[in-house]
Amino acid sequence: MSYWHKHSLRLLKHELKRGELTIILLAIVLAVSAVFSLSGFSSRVKQALTAESSTFIAADRVLDTGSVIDPTVLAKATSLQLIQAQQIQMSSMVFTDEQMALSALSAVSDSYPLRGELLVSPSLDAAQAVAVNSPKLGEAWLEAKGLRQLGITLGDSIEVGVMRFKVTGIITQIPDASFSVFSSGPVVFINDQDIHKTELIQPGSRLSYKYLFAGEADNITAFEQWFKPQLSDNQRWYDIKSQNSPLARALTKADKYLSLASMLGIVLASVAVAVASRRYSQRHQSVVAVFKAMGASKRYVAKLYCLHWSLLSVLSISLGLIVGYLILNVGLYAMRDYLDISATGNMAYPFLVAIVTGIICAVSFAITPLKELVQTSPMTLLRGRDNAANNSLLTRLMSPMPSLLAIFILLYLFSQDAVLSAALLIGGMLVALVLLVIGRLFMSAGRSAGSKAGKSWHLALANLKRRANENAVQLISFTIAIQLLLIIVVMKNGLIDDWQKQLPDNSANRFLVNITASQVEPVNNFVESLGIESSGLFPVVRGRLTKINADQVTKRVSKEETKSADNGRRGVGRELNMTWRDAIPYENSLIAGSWWSPEDTRALVSIESTLADKLDVEIGDDLTFQLGSEEVQVVVSSIRKVNWQTLQPNFYMIFNQHVLADFPATYISSLYVPDEATDALQDFLTQYPTITLIDVDAIITQLRSVIGQVSIAIEFILVLVVLAGSLVLVAQVQASMEERERELAILRTLGASGRLLRNSVLFEFVALGALAGLMASIAMELGVYILQSRIFEMPGSFHFQYWLLGIGAGASFVGLIGLLSCWRLLNMSSVTLIRRTM
Amino acid sequence: MKLNSDVILKVSALTKSVKTDAKTLDILHPMDLTVTAGDSLAIVGASGSGKSTLLSIIAGLDLPSSGEVFLKNKPLHQFNEEQRSAVRAQHVGFIFQQFLLINSLTALENIMLPAELAGMDNPEQLARELLAKVDLADRAEHFPSQLSGGEQQRVAIARAFISKPDILFADEPTGNLDTKTGSHIADLLFEINKQQGTTLILVTHDPKLAARCQRQVIMESGQLSETNVVPVIAETLVTKPVVTESSAIKQPLSGSL
Repeated sequence: MSYWHKHSLRLLKHELKRGELTIILLAIVLAVSAVFSLSGFSSRVKQALTAESSTFIAADRVLDTGSVIDPTVLAKATSLQLIQAQQIQMSSMVFTDEQMALSALSAVSDSYPLRGELLVSPSLDAAQAVAVNSPKLGEAWLEAKGLRQLGITLGDSIEVGVMRFKVTGIITQIPDASFSVFSSGPVVFINDQDIHKTELIQPGSRLSYKYLFAGEADNITAFEQWFKPQLSDNQRWYDIKSQNSPLARALTKADKYLSLASMLGIVLASVAVAVASRRYSQRHQSVVAVFKAMGASKRYVAKLYCLHWSLLSVLSISLGLIVGYLILNVGLYAMRDYLDISATGNMAYPFLVAIVTGIICAVSFAITPLKELVQTSPMTLLRGRDNAANNSLLTRLMSPMPSLLAIFILLYLFSQDAVLSAALLIGGMLVALVLLVIGRLFMSAGRSAGSKAGKSWHLALANLKRRANENAVQLISFTIAIQLLLIIVVMKNGLIDDWQKQLPDNSANRFLVNITASQVEPVNNFVESLGIESSGLFPVVRGRLTKINADQVTKRVSKEETKSADNGRRGVGRELNMTWRDAIPYENSLIAGSWWSPEDTRALVSIESTLADKLDVEIGDDLTFQLGSEEVQVVVSSIRKVNWQTLQPNFYMIFNQHVLADFPATYISSLYVPDEATDALQDFLTQYPTITLIDVDAIITQLRSVIGQVSIAIEFILVLVVLAGSLVLVAQVQASMEERERELAILRTLGASGRLLRNSVLFEFVALGALAGLMASIAMELGVYILQSRIFEMPGSFHFQYWLLGIGAGASFVGLIGLLSCWRLLNMSSVTLIRRTM
Repeated sequence: MKLNSDVILKVSALTKSVKTDAKTLDILHPMDLTVTAGDSLAIVGASGSGKSTLLSIIAGLDLPSSGEVFLKNKPLHQFNEEQRSAVRAQHVGFIFQQFLLINSLTALENIMLPAELAGMDNPEQLARELLAKVDLADRAEHFPSQLSGGEQQRVAIARAFISKPDILFADEPTGNLDTKTGSHIADLLFEINKQQGTTLILVTHDPKLAARCQRQVIMESGQLSETNVVPVIAETLVTKPVVTESSAIKQPLSGSL
């Protein structure tokens, strides 16, 4: 073994044994383990959440079409090992001997549902419900309300088309229950092989064919990429995210949050590596100076430290992978009761990205310090000056470039978004610059010769002012770490509040539809008598938009069913449900025009904003509607933004009362019915069997459950980010330790009491932490505003309540870490301190 | 034990041993020493003889393994770290070979430090006076890194005297300086010492510096013996180099986190 090899190994062994490399080791271990566990965890959680939420559509992807699909499509899906199911949906009358009702008929194949569970009970006891697929031939399943409506029970028969079915089960849960208040009638499930026997499918029949697909994510994506370009106008392709449902939006935000938290955690860990590397270089300057004074060449020194650093990196990365794997499994285990996360799965990506991260961290952040170290002159020993003091301005300006490039690469590696990565990096640099200036001003303000060292606080503040330059750099690190942590906390709570606002505890859990005009008063009386919260009764008139100004709607909207990823709401081209209101409804806000007064007799309409954009409609445009046999022309007087996430009836078109009052209408309403009022509601509805009750409790419960699970995932990642931030703080405190040790030695020798020194150290760090917390809070507001408005599509807001948290957390955290880091020194004897200093 | 009012330091049967991995190392063998207030005493000896260890113990920086140390009637051997700190703050001044100035303080602030710790009035005025005395009045706002070795040691001298200590310990005060500067520093040290009437205990291997003290003692392999003969000291140092095992000062230290 050559000498440089031996020296390198000896150096590594001694330094590891003495704990000199602990911070660097921990920083790289943290960066690697954070990336490994975060990328593994968040991808699994995302997959599990997506799978969980896919139960809302009973599949991973759904094709909704008006006609039977080309068999080659199904063959392609089969070739990609996708599981498939089919569903035919139509409205149909269902007859018993005594009654009849319009039902939502669903004929399903034997593999339905592909995701989620269809729960059917073989008895009147809903607790006996089990997960099933499709009814047997000749059998039908109904919801309980359907049985009531038809006046039948289990074992009785119903007629659907020309076929009789025996009712053998009561449906308690439908995974892809249609959440449209305008679907009416009880749900009836039959086997899809029976549909043709009913003879319901005739030329011109209005029905919907749904083809459900599910499988491995890669195969689904491949199938989607193959099929989507072939979509025709009458076909709709969707997954859970494109549904624009409350859950879809919640998932998208959670996705972004997890990515953001992960990126910030990696940046923090990288900062810790950078700080520790710089300290490493400074400590080794004298070692290199001695080597060179004894005749070692630059090349020799370079090889020695490259090997030394490489061995350290390999050790750190290996440990990081092991720790990351353990954290990942602990996290998955903790989530097992909440999400169905597979313990196995694709580990290759997290493994590879963690190794790459470790190498980038270990190499990029150390390049500049190691380069400076190798270039150390033996004169450093004689002059006692820092190497860096000899560098030109250009060299000093260029020295952080490798680290900045490394941060950008790390951010991009994780986010796959170059713009976001660049924005975060540049934003971070600007913030650091501003913080440096502000921090320096704070430190230098009121700098005076007197220290009044007799009192702890005065000594602490005097020390802060004296070490203004060094403290300013520490201040930036503390501030950025606290700022990032505050952003994570504020965004987390903001997201959860946002979701919770959509689903407060007393959200509407029942819809009443098909209420006739004559039933309005009894319904109102009933609701008032029980004190039930209600959205009020909305009249509904069905009509079709036929002209915009003089243009026929077919010209403008021929491509309204787009093939884009949105595949969202269906607006026009078919009948719309329209209503009239005297006042603007709850969670609707005007963005153009004005609302009418109740006395206004003009023919006016208010249109929803996304539809207005789609149809290119502006204030003052004339819209013509076909309502039954009549044509109605109205003027657009306002454009509204609608919060579609609320559980209340929402409308694209709202007219003033004068326009629609004379047209026949049914009414709908959303109610919050507490458990104790359920029976009373059922009794009331038996008097009005034509009123349809839609129970959304199950959907809300499921939604809340998923939101709760996402919150837990976010908190888990927050813990990792907090750990990363802690390491930065420790690294920074350690960086100042040698100077602090020397000062303690001198002060101790001169007779300063232990209490004075302990308190002054504590107060110094508390003051530094409080100042960092204050600056972090200010910086947090800016960062959160940008994130809220640009990334998370949430309204921007201030969070003054978090300022106290920032200041308090900064003071406590930095104070505690500083004191603990100095504890050993504070309790050393004077003679030991002096010996360590010499 | 009440000392004679003239005696400022009394050491009796003092020893110091250190345990290493292999065995116990006797740094100081049983020794006695008495110093009268106002005296100047030089402790001389070769490197590794134990003189700095002795200085640490009698200055209250370290505890003996056995024996007694009374400083201004205070039993240092029975005091804990806090109590010895208090004694140092009240009665003791220090000058070190490495100067040991605080790098983030100016010259003026370094000098003020002991006065502030002792709670004295007008520390800045006192510090400026002393700074003028050591001929550095125009360097008050300069940091140690901006001062030469000699200038730093002058600041250290001023710092040692600001609290008007009863006893001043100097450990190789000219060790890091060239002959001319060292001589100048020594002049300054003795001049201020005479003005303030401080007891001076000096550790040195410089025979000329030792000769300027009223008394000299020799440390040889942890044994203390007294001599007034400077040539003997010079001969001892020149012809009889003492090779000893490394002292406790040179022990490897535990790593830091």
